[in-house]
Amino acid sequence: MASTTLTQATGAPEQTAVRASEQPGPRRRKSPRAGGHWPFFALPAVVLVAVFFALPFLLNAGFAFSDWSGFSEEIGFNGVDNFRTLIDQEIFWPAVRTTLMYAGFMLVFAIGISLSLALLLEQTTRINTIFRSLFFVPVLISPLAAGYIWKGMLASNGPINGMLSFLLPGTVDTAWLGDPTTALPAVALIEAWKWSGLITLVYIAGLKAIPKEMLEAAMIDGANAWTRFWRIRLRMLAPALTFNVAVTLAIALMAYDVIAPTTAGGPGDHTTTLNIAMRLQWGQSFFGPASALSLTVAVLIVVSAVPLVMWMRKKEVN
Amino acid sequence: MASRIKYVGLTLFAIPWVVLPLWMVIVNALKPLGEAQALSLSLPHTWAFTDNLDTVVNDGHYLIGLRNSVLITVPAIAIILLLGSMAAWAFARTQSRWLRAAYYLSTLSVLLPPAIIPSIYLLREIGLDGTRLGYALVTIAARIGLVIFLTTGFVRALPEDLEDAASIDGAGPWQTYRHVLLPLLRPILLVGGVILMITVWNDFFFALFLLQGEGSATLPLTLFQFASSTVDTLSWNLVFMHVVLTSLPLIVVYLFVQRRVLSGLTEGAVKG
Repeated sequence: MASTTLTQATGAPEQTAVRASEQPGPRRRKSPRAGGHWPFFALPAVVLVAVFFALPFLLNAGFAFSDWSGFSEEIGFNGVDNFRTLIDQEIFWPAVRTTLMYAGFMLVFAIGISLSLALLLEQTTRINTIFRSLFFVPVLISPLAAGYIWKGMLASNGPINGMLSFLLPGTVDTAWLGDPTTALPAVALIEAWKWSGLITLVYIAGLKAIPKEMLEAAMIDGANAWTRFWRIRLRMLAPALTFNVAVTLAIALMAYDVIAPTTAGGPGDHTTTLNIAMRLQWGQSFFGPASALSLTVAVLIVVSAVPLVMWMRKKEVN
Repeated sequence: MASRIKYVGLTLFAIPWVVLPLWMVIVNALKPLGEAQALSLSLPHTWAFTDNLDTVVNDGHYLIGLRNSVLITVPAIAIILLLGSMAAWAFARTQSRWLRAAYYLSTLSVLLPPAIIPSIYLLREIGLDGTRLGYALVTIAARIGLVIFLTTGFVRALPEDLEDAASIDGAGPWQTYRHVLLPLLRPILLVGGVILMITVWNDFFFALFLLQGEGSATLPLTLFQFASSTVDTLSWNLVFMHVVLTSLPLIVVYLFVQRRVLSGLTEGAVKG
């Protein structure tokens, strides 16, 4: 599992981890009874996960192919009808495309901003700590509240346009969230705003885990700052990068909270992600199609994040 | 010189990115409706702090939201940290195939979202649909995976000597967990606790499906219902006042533990 990724990403003592796992053979336990209690320590957590997480997950695979609705008591199997209906109504593929584009935008914004901030704020000085703590404030704000804040900032008479009108010739009065071309990147930017403070800290932890000797050796060998960044720091940052990309992707594919208060899926269906479409189906009591959309989110996360993590981890080793 | 340019650049970025949004929210929360609709960054001409506060508390059901958020978040996080670290200890110290399978099952939720619609179905079957308890149970099950994942990695990196010493001294497993392991786990549980505070307190999507009725609404739900109750345009002053009050509890907590949070998240587990 990716446990080393994370211990490294959060700056845990990786050296010890390696040593512990390389010890030949499992240790003998001292007390003869020892070991019998392990299941009891794991049991409460496992039961909760099994009943309230894993079981619904399995049920979802069934509901997605059922005609469950608010209009009848009975739930029957109806094959791929839900997907077919959603495709016929031109809901399914546009929602998949919107969700993937949203994830793409958010990845670029969040990773780009956080990585730049991390490189600038890597050293723990007093002033850097102040900046880190300032950039962390949006992390504390709920994505819903972030949506309302930026709905105001990006309104056609809002402060962003005010600033642009001040800097650029003419008056800027674009309704960023109301224009079909800008709405999706704009909401993705809000999501990136909400999370980048946290992602920055993971990168800083990753940068700190790079052994100084390595950079010094490269410097002695004549590598310039640019080469040192691309050949050493970025490569050594791979675990933090993997973790951030996977988590960001999962957050973006589940997108709902930022979109609901800002565009509610509009204009038209330009920001209707899978979860927005799912909520609409649910609201109309079409529980089967709603389950189908919800299953699609889970499948997208599995088929995109999991291979990504495996691929990036393979690159880490080399 | 280079560092001066760097800090000028950072400041130029921080102003529109963090300072202005917060400033806009705060000043407009203090204005009367007519003035706030202009969304300007100037200070209020007429201060409407108490009026807006009154409306948000009374019509926005702020105090009910606050109570429910506390009643759900605090116990849920305590249970996640307790049960999660207990399980992580077991997962880190055993090779048993069953426990390994259980570990993978428990950590699936690090990436996978909970299946929301079947959760409603399940809660309906056991009579907890729409209740705070039902919502808390789904939240615990969905978020405990992250704590198990983080803590298991952390425990694996700890030497077993201390636990061995405790058991030689006659401590039972529970005493060893309570007096040896838990203190060692503090740094990683702090990191987990911070992430949980942020995600559980601020959760809107799952609350929207799993909580019903004004009596059980959490802060994000009361904010959304309040903002959606105005039909055409948002009353920015009131929405922003609700945003300020909804965000305030976490920001206040953050101000107190700021240093530990930031160093916990960046230095991770090495110090504490």
